[in-house]
Amino acid sequence: MSLEPHWAAGVCEGLHAVGSRHVVYVPDNPLSHVLRILDREYADVRRTVATREEEAFGIAAGMYLGGARPTVMLQSSGLGNSLNALTSLLIPYKIPALVIISMRGDVGEWNDAQVPMGRALPAILDAIGLPHATAESPETTAETVRLVGQTAFGTRQPGVCLLPRRVTVPAGGATTRDRRETSVPISVGVQPHDARVRS
Amino acid sequence: MTRLDATRRLVAALDREPVIASLGHPAYDLFAAGDRPENFYTWGSMGLASSIGLGLAMVQPDLRIFVVDGDGALLMNLGALATIGWIRPANLVLIVWDNAVYGTTGGQDTATAHGADLEAVARALGARIATTVHAEHDLDAAIARARVEPGPWVIVARVSEVMPTVKPPLDCVYIKQRFMAAIGQPEGATRGARI
Repeated sequence: MSLEPHWAAGVCEGLHAVGSRHVVYVPDNPLSHVLRILDREYADVRRTVATREEEAFGIAAGMYLGGARPTVMLQSSGLGNSLNALTSLLIPYKIPALVIISMRGDVGEWNDAQVPMGRALPAILDAIGLPHATAESPETTAETVRLVGQTAFGTRQPGVCLLPRRVTVPAGGATTRDRRETSVPISVGVQPHDARVRS
Repeated sequence: MTRLDATRRLVAALDREPVIASLGHPAYDLFAAGDRPENFYTWGSMGLASSIGLGLAMVQPDLRIFVVDGDGALLMNLGALATIGWIRPANLVLIVWDNAVYGTTGGQDTATAHGADLEAVARALGARIATTVHAEHDLDAAIARARVEPGPWVIVARVSEVMPTVKPPLDCVYIKQRFMAAIGQPEGATRGARI
């Protein structure tokens, strides 16, 4: 009876399967589906909001030191905020985390300001030596997340699963809120009066 | 009091509580005050000591977690105080060595030299107890309470800067593995396993 998209259920299934019971995140519109499913169906997974992505990685590192297997969820724009935490804490100390990144700026993007970071993100991950895999379809998302987590916690380094917009924001498959705010910018270039009439 | 004196008073008051140390001089002085496996020395990630402490406090509620931070480092991650105030872990004690300068980088002023009040910020963002101490006996009293009374505690200790003369171990993985074993969470990879 779930109204949430299949890929989002897959993220939850994958992180749970790899033993993660803590999700530290900075909100993102597609990731809201994941958060709703966790809230409804995964009572044993604790969700913690961080004020920015770097902080989320610090909290996750502390959780790992205490014996937990943390997941960090963020939008791709937040990777820039995270680089010092990754390169001077998690990577040199070999502290793993399952990292779920909701992509902006990839194919399907409409916002210029999201494109430079989205385009650079895979190359940045390669440059700092972090392995990453992309969830290619809603049906394979659970397995991709699980495998990324298995490698991360097995080899003790952060592992990144990318969620591309072609998976998270499919035409007609998103919620009304998603369509208005992230997929089809109906109010862009429209005068306030017109926008008010339309809404 | 100097930061080293204050750090020595902290270590003398502790039993086996974990201590997370901010990079640079707070970590150097923690090592100088007496190396112990329950010390987690950061070598980078300025600002994140308080966040590491929060994450550890959340998953180890039966341990009392101490963090030794600097005023410059905390100013870099003030959002951490909001998250700590939201989660309100009773077992977290954040000690801020406030010397009003960026001591590790040459002594440039921080905002606390010009009126910023970290105790007030901590209280506004939800710390259960926030206090500022200037003298040794007040620091001792605050630490003694913070070891047993519910937090989260934020103790802002006004200290003077003295250049450290020693550094903690450089090997990050060694620091991590020793720390995790000492707090009863030995990393799985450090043990053998059945095939």
